[in-house]
Amino acid sequence: MTFSEIRERAAGTGQAPVRVVDSDVHPVPKPGMLVEYLPEAGRKAFDHKIGDTIFYDAPDYAHAKAMRVDAFVPGGGFPGSDPDLAFRQLVVEAGSDVGILEPGGRSHFLPEVNSAIMTAVNHWIDNHWLDKTNNWHGRWRGSICASIDDPRGTAREIEYWAGHPYMSQILIKAEPRPAWGDPKYDPVWAAAVKHDLPVSCHLSRSRHEELPMPPVGFPSYNHDFMVTYSLLAANQVQSLIFDGVFERFPTLKIILVEHAFTWILPLMWRMDAVWAARKSDVPHVRRKPSDYVKDHIWFTTQPLDYPEDKLELTNALEWMEADKILLFSSDYPHWTFDDPRWVIKHIPERMRTAIMRDNGIAVYKNVPQTVPAIEGQTIAY
Amino acid sequence: MPIIDASVHVFFPGNGDLRGFMHEPYKSRGFPDYEMDWYGAPGGEYVTWAQRDGMYPGSDPDFTARQLFSERKIDLAILHPMTRGMMPDRHLGTALAAAHNEMLARRWLEHDTYGERFRGTIRVVPDDIDGALKEIERWKDHPRMVQIGIPLQSHALYGKPQFWPLWEAAADAGLPVAVHTEVGSGIDNAPTPSGVPRTYPHYFTFMALNYVYHLMNMIAEGVFERYRDLRIVFADGAGDMVTPFIWRMDTFGRPHLEQTPWAPEMPGDYLPGHVYFIHGSMDGPGDRPEASEWLRMTGKEDMVMFGSSYPHWHAADHRELPSAWTGEQREKVLSGNAAKLYGLQDALTGGGSRKQVTHP
Amino acid sequence: MPTNRLPTGREHVVCADDEIPPGTHKVFPIGRHGVGVYNVNGVFYAIANYCPHEGGPLCSGRTRGRSVVSDRAPGGASVVRDGEFVYCPWHQWGFELATGTTAVKPEWSIRTYPVRVVDHKIIVTA
Repeated sequence: MTFSEIRERAAGTGQAPVRVVDSDVHPVPKPGMLVEYLPEAGRKAFDHKIGDTIFYDAPDYAHAKAMRVDAFVPGGGFPGSDPDLAFRQLVVEAGSDVGILEPGGRSHFLPEVNSAIMTAVNHWIDNHWLDKTNNWHGRWRGSICASIDDPRGTAREIEYWAGHPYMSQILIKAEPRPAWGDPKYDPVWAAAVKHDLPVSCHLSRSRHEELPMPPVGFPSYNHDFMVTYSLLAANQVQSLIFDGVFERFPTLKIILVEHAFTWILPLMWRMDAVWAARKSDVPHVRRKPSDYVKDHIWFTTQPLDYPEDKLELTNALEWMEADKILLFSSDYPHWTFDDPRWVIKHIPERMRTAIMRDNGIAVYKNVPQTVPAIEGQTIAY
Repeated sequence: MPIIDASVHVFFPGNGDLRGFMHEPYKSRGFPDYEMDWYGAPGGEYVTWAQRDGMYPGSDPDFTARQLFSERKIDLAILHPMTRGMMPDRHLGTALAAAHNEMLARRWLEHDTYGERFRGTIRVVPDDIDGALKEIERWKDHPRMVQIGIPLQSHALYGKPQFWPLWEAAADAGLPVAVHTEVGSGIDNAPTPSGVPRTYPHYFTFMALNYVYHLMNMIAEGVFERYRDLRIVFADGAGDMVTPFIWRMDTFGRPHLEQTPWAPEMPGDYLPGHVYFIHGSMDGPGDRPEASEWLRMTGKEDMVMFGSSYPHWHAADHRELPSAWTGEQREKVLSGNAAKLYGLQDALTGGGSRKQVTHP
Repeated sequence: MPTNRLPTGREHVVCADDEIPPGTHKVFPIGRHGVGVYNVNGVFYAIANYCPHEGGPLCSGRTRGRSVVSDRAPGGASVVRDGEFVYCPWHQWGFELATGTTAVKPEWSIRTYPVRVVDHKIIVTA
């Protein structure tokens, strides 16, 4: 079916139940589009020519650009730059029903410039993905992008967008120092819980000590870099818990996107053991660390890392109570894309609806139970 | 059932004593003490029951031997001396390591009564390859030195080529290399990728995990492809993390093998026979039913070795291992894996290392 | 893909042999996902347009060689057997066209089909 055929037939087909909430979709502005929305403070980032900044490159980077090669827009256009192609490939062909849009966005060394860039990104996505024309099918949801290294600027940005019917979460980065438990970030958590918005974090890359820089030396290749990247997320989890953020903000919800998740199982055991032995060091931590994880922190399924023996993954999912903490994600249109039909096969049956749908509907703001039906859409499970 | 304690930390009783084992010009240099300033454990670094008035914990062979061998029923103990921080002057670092190696051999490994039950670690400084190779050459044939020891802290990951002569020497000598957090103060980076942690439990939970950076880099750089006899022991524990991280390295790393033809195997295939972990009091799922299956996964039951980390506050008790472990798993962790790794089977059966020890 | 698919399980005359020069390939609407016919140095191979990993469109990927350690080349690596492997456009898994398997263990296999040339016509049994 052509795209216009899909669109014609969509009118009047009624509502369909949401089966798949996709927690990680990457829209990209078309060239020149973002600059239009930049406040004055952000112009510094764009006043000189910038070429490719890649190091730690994914396989065949010169040709694939770390993307699914079939997601380049026919006729020209970077993967993720065309809402219609994204709709066709992700919603119709793969079967994601609701997509949480997570724009990337370059980092600058000045926090106020970062905030200006985030403001531009938010206005761009509001006008080009969440608007009536591009969101005619009602399936895209947006992120309020914010610059964690400018906590007050972030709180202001959250206040501005909090009432938007299609904004479902706040999106911050993990690389800036110090870790999130530092009280300087409290205005961010306060604004988040005030508006009942989860705070999500997608992995990124910055510079120098915020690359992120491992304490013991820089990795050599993309795979030792990206695999060990999860330790940054693990460190943020430890900071949130041991610094008492969830005691200060008991309704705060944190989502870690594309940081992998199987590591949380042994980390929960380790944190619990250390806490049991060292409670007097952290009297403000009143509960077992693993309880905080299960009540406050979610992880996306992509990238789904697995051993040769799939039963080991099944066991790990049971032991970590994955139905409490996982959210399905595809990472469309990146090269590490996980198809929902493939992910489903790896999740124990009793956990499927929780991970593919119910957790997403519960944790995100403004994610509905039903959406306008699309004829010919793949039913993932 | 025999028990090998694969990680006991020993110290000089005091600075005067240490300087007595050093030569000028290093003897008159300034260097830190063992205790950590920023990340020292609140309330004290060592268990109270290992302390005695006027004695630095872990510095008296007789006292230590009674505690380990008589009270805790250990058969053999692998001693791993801590040195004095990551030194900017690598020559001074080597001089400090050399003094500790000498003290370890004379006072502990050649002890009249208990020497046959102690085994030792040759401490070296990776930033001083020249000095490290000389230290290894000096001690590798000592019958009771069973491994080489380097710090966890580094400014470069251990897969990088500047460290390869160290792996070559270790492999040639048939000695495993143990990696452990160095104590004291020095030029190491902040302990987490977000900088300085605010609490001690956060510091302690994260610090050991730094081995993952080293391990993944060593795999990707083909260190285990190149040095087929090399064995590495991550002596701060946290071996549980190897399961999810090797799943990730296999899954994500697979298409990247095109970038690293010097490491052509799947990353997980480089673990068996190369990578080992100490199992301490913070390791494992605790006394849960899944503890046995978890230990079997990723071949961890052949990789982990009980190590108390006596006299530190988190000193592990071998009587507190998970009840779900099978008898075979228990035997491997309590002595089998260490006996195999360090060639201690004869010592356990009473053959012992009673050879006349000659001074190098 | 066009909707009028050819049925599977029989011989298909897909095109003339000079329509697929060495180093190129064409995809034909056979079966559920299509079949790609590749010319590797004069030898024809046919594979399903479906990656066994997560179902990606395998024939949209590039054909390349494999990298090997090469002491003389700057950077210590070079590529050999150019064009003999197809790499999935999703996760860049490489499959050897001649054997239909991955070079990296554990081995995964792609579905391959017998190909022969008769009177300059390429015939695929699929």
